[in-house]
Amino acid sequence: MKNVKNKSNEANIFNRKWEPLIYLLPFAVGLLIFTVYPIINVVIMSFKEGYRLSGAFNGWGLANYIKVLNDPLFKNAIKNTFTYVFTVVPIATILSIIVAVLLNQKIKGIALFQTAYFLPMVTSAIAVGLVWKYMFNTDIGVINWVLGLFGIDPINWLGASNGVAPYNIWVICIFGIWNMMPFTIILLLSGLQNIDPLYYTAARVDGANSLKIFTRITLPLLSPTIFLTLIVNMISSFKVYNDVIPFWRGEAGVTGRNLFTFVYYIKNAFYSNKKLGVAAAASILLFGIIFVFTMLQRYIQKKAKN
Amino acid sequence: MKKIKIGHVFTYVVLIFGALLMIFPFYWMIATSFKTAAEYSSYPPVWAPSNWLNFSNFIEAFKAAPFGRYFLNSVVVTVISVTINSFTTICASFAFSRLKFKGRDFLFGCLLSFMMVPFEMLVITNYQTVSKLRLINTLAVLIVPFTTSIFYTYILKGFFDTISDSLYYSARIDGASNWKYLWRVMVPIAKPSLVTIILLNTIASWNSYLWTSLTITSNINRTIPLGLTVFMTDAGSNQQLQLAAATVTVLPMIIIFIFSRKYIVNGVARGGIKG
Amino acid sequence: MRVKIENLTKKFGDVTAVDNFTMTFEDGELVVLLGPSGCGKSTMLNMLSGILPVTSGKIFFDGDDVTDLPPQDRGIGICFQNYALYPHMTVLENIAFPLEIKKINKKERNEQAKKMAQLVHIENYLNRKPRELSGGQQQRVAIARALIKNPRLLLLDEPLSNLDARLRLEMREEIRRIQQETGVTTIFVTHDQEEAMSISDKIVLMKDGKLQQLDSPQELYDDPHNEFVASFLGNPPINKLNGVINQDGNFVLETGDVIKINNPQAKVGEKVVLGIRPEAIMLNQNEHDMTATIVQRYTMGKEELAFVKVGNSEIRVYLSNDYTYKVGEQVNIKLRNKGIFLFDQQTGARI
Repeated sequence: MKNVKNKSNEANIFNRKWEPLIYLLPFAVGLLIFTVYPIINVVIMSFKEGYRLSGAFNGWGLANYIKVLNDPLFKNAIKNTFTYVFTVVPIATILSIIVAVLLNQKIKGIALFQTAYFLPMVTSAIAVGLVWKYMFNTDIGVINWVLGLFGIDPINWLGASNGVAPYNIWVICIFGIWNMMPFTIILLLSGLQNIDPLYYTAARVDGANSLKIFTRITLPLLSPTIFLTLIVNMISSFKVYNDVIPFWRGEAGVTGRNLFTFVYYIKNAFYSNKKLGVAAAASILLFGIIFVFTMLQRYIQKKAKN
Repeated sequence: MKKIKIGHVFTYVVLIFGALLMIFPFYWMIATSFKTAAEYSSYPPVWAPSNWLNFSNFIEAFKAAPFGRYFLNSVVVTVISVTINSFTTICASFAFSRLKFKGRDFLFGCLLSFMMVPFEMLVITNYQTVSKLRLINTLAVLIVPFTTSIFYTYILKGFFDTISDSLYYSARIDGASNWKYLWRVMVPIAKPSLVTIILLNTIASWNSYLWTSLTITSNINRTIPLGLTVFMTDAGSNQQLQLAAATVTVLPMIIIFIFSRKYIVNGVARGGIKG
Repeated sequence: MRVKIENLTKKFGDVTAVDNFTMTFEDGELVVLLGPSGCGKSTMLNMLSGILPVTSGKIFFDGDDVTDLPPQDRGIGICFQNYALYPHMTVLENIAFPLEIKKINKKERNEQAKKMAQLVHIENYLNRKPRELSGGQQQRVAIARALIKNPRLLLLDEPLSNLDARLRLEMREEIRRIQQETGVTTIFVTHDQEEAMSISDKIVLMKDGKLQQLDSPQELYDDPHNEFVASFLGNPPINKLNGVINQDGNFVLETGDVIKINNPQAKVGEKVVLGIRPEAIMLNQNEHDMTATIVQRYTMGKEELAFVKVGNSEIRVYLSNDYTYKVGEQVNIKLRNKGIFLFDQQTGARI
C-alpha cells in the first residue's frame, strides 16, 4: 500500500525526463524496424494485389485473400497443419501428464531422468530429425524392425506407393510428439509442484488410493496448467515447419507438396513464387488463428488466477 | 507396505522405459556417427558401432562440406546476437521496471500484445528491409534483426519488479546513479534470471533455421543447421556422414543443457513459452 | 543537525497524508514519528529523505532549505524496514558501498567500513552475505551502512518491526547506544508506543495525517492533549468511561453511579469521557471515589491485573499483592491525582 502510493508520486526525483529514453533507445530501434514496422507493413501488403519485391502493385483489394482461400495447395496446408496440431498436441499432453506425475514423486536419479526427458527441447529439430529419418527407413530402420518383432509388415513411412503417401504425416506427428514432450512435461511439473502436498496427505488419511488421488485431486488441481500447455502447444504447432525439413531433404513430403503446412505455404508463396501479397495474406490468416488461441489462453489464465 | 513397493516399481519401470525412448534417438545418432557404411545399412540394425573411435565419418563430412566454417559462423552469430540482445534487454527491462515516464505501463502492454505475432508474419517485410540494407548473405543478417526480444524483456522486467524499492532508494541516497545501480546492484541480483535468458536465447539462436535459410545462400556464411540441410541434399546416400554432422550440431547444446539444466528448466517453467 | 519543518503537507490525489506540519527537532535528538498505520509517518519520513516530493511547505536542515534537493544531496543516511542490504555483497562490501560510490579507494573504504562495523558490533561477520545473518545482525549492517558517510541526519523506517520480540528489545537499546555514541540527529518511525517511549527524546504522535502532540515521552504520557493520545500510549491501555458532569462537578455514569473527580474546568451537564490510567486506581481505601465489583483476575508475574465492573463498564486495575481478592467481591476505589483526564465526548479534546 505504502509503496504503491510512493511509486505513483515519486515523479522524476530519481530520473530526468529524458533518461528512460536513453535506456529504451537500443531496444526501441530494433523493435520499430524489425517488429512494429513489419506488422503494419504486412497488413497493408496483404491488400495490395500483385505486389512484387520491387514494391510495385496493381491495386487494392481482397484478391490476395481470395487467392489464398481458393488455392488447393493452401487447403492442403490447412488440412495437414490441423491434422498435425490435433494429433500431436493431445497425445503429447497425455503422455506428458503421465511422465510429469511420475517424475513429481520422491525418486532416485531425478537429474538423469530430467536430462533424458528434457533433452529434445534444446537440440535442433533439423539435426535430430536426420536420425529419425534413419529410424523411419523402410528397409533398414529401427522402427520397422521393432514393428517386425510384433509381426507387423514394414511400413513405407517416408515414401509413396501408387502416388499416395499416407504415412508421411505420421512421421512428422510422431517426431512432433517427441519434440513437444519436454516443454510440456516442464510446464506440467511446475504446475504439479504448486499443488499443496497437504491435499495428498489429507486424501491418504481419508483412505484414498493412488488412482483416486490422481483423478480426484491431481487432475482437477492441475487442469488450469493442462489447458495452458494445450493452448501454448497448439499455438506453436500451428507454425510447424522445422519438423518437416529433415525428412525429405527440405521438401514438404515425398512429392514435395503433399505435406505442405501453413508456414511452408507462406515461405513458398514468398520465397519461391515471389508472390508477396499472397504470402502476406496467408500470414495474416495464420495470425488470426494464433490470435484466437492467445485470447483463449489469456482468458483461462485470468480465470485460473481468480 | 507391500503395495507402496509395487507402486514404486511401476513408477521406475515406466519412467525408465520412457526415458530410453526419449534418449534413444540421441544414442542412435551418436552411435551411427561411428558406424561404417556397411554397419549403417545392415538389417537387423547393428546396435553399436564395431569401433567407437572410428572418426572417419566426421573427417569425411568435414571434407565434403566446410562444417568447421559453419560451426564457427554459428558461434560468432550466437555470441554476438546474444550479447547485444542481452544488453538491450537489460536496459529496456530497467526502464520499464524502475524508471518513471509517461505512458510506461501502456507501452509495456502494447509490447506484450506484439508477443503473439508469429515471426513468420514478419519475415516477408524483414526480408525486404535487410535487402535494402544490403545485409543478405552476410552474417550480420543473422544478428541485426535479433538485437531485441520482447519475450526476454518481459521475463527480466518481471524479475526486476521483485527487487525491493528500498534497495533502489538506499543506493540512490548513497549517491549511486541509475546506471551504477543497474549494473552494480540490479544485474548481479538478477543473475539467475539473466543466465536463464542467455541460455534460452543461445539455444534459439543456435537452432534458428527459417530466417537463415531465406537470407543466406553463399556457402561460407552458412550456419550449422543450414549447412546440415544443404549437406542432406549433397551427401546423397552417405547418410552416416549426415549423422556425424548432426552430432556435431547437437553436441554443444547437449553439453550446455547438461551443465545448466536447472536454469533452463526454471526459465521455461516461468516463461511458459519456448525461447 | 537542526531539522525544521514549516507547513509541510503531502497529498495523494484527494487524500491528505500529511497535513500542515510545523515543528523543529534539535541537533542530536532522537525523534520518533509514532502513530497507527496509515497515519502518514512513513510519508513524513520519505519527504525528509527526499524520496517523496512535498505538496507544499518547506524543510530546513540547519537553516538550509532542502525541500527541492534530491535525496543524494541531503546528507542523510537511511535504514529501511527490510534493511535493503545488497544480497550479492558481503557485509564489508555493503557497509563500504556508499564510499565505493564516492570513488574512495578500496583500502581506505574498507578501513572505514571496519571501524563502522566495530561501532555496531558486527566486526566478526565481515565476509558473510546478508542471508547468512540473523535479522538483528542485518539491522546492524544496515545502520553501519547508513552511518558510514557521516550523515547529518539518520532516518530509520520501522527498523525493528521485522524482528522477534527479544531481538527487538536488544536492538532498540543498541540503536539508542549507537545514536548516543555518534550523536547523530535521528528520526525513527514506528507504530509501537512502547518502543517509542523507551528510545526517544521526543515523540511526534500522528493520526490521519494530523499532528496530535509533540512532546517528550513522559509529558505525552502524563499530559495528553486529547483522548487519542491518552489511549494510544500506555500498556495496559487507559480506561475510558462515558458520562456527564453533575451539579457537584462530579462524573456520573449512565447507570447513575457517581465518581468523584476534581476538575474545576468541567462544566455542569457536559458529556465527557473520563480517562483513568490503571495505575491511578487504588483499591480498598477507607475513603473512596466509587465502588466496583471484581469480574476477572489475571496474573502477570510481578503484578496482578483485574477487570472490575463500574456501572455497566469494565475497567482495568492493578491489584495489590498483600490481599487476595475474590471474583465477585465488592471493592472501594480511590483515584490518585495523576493519570486522570477528562475529554470532550464529541471532539476528544482534553478538558
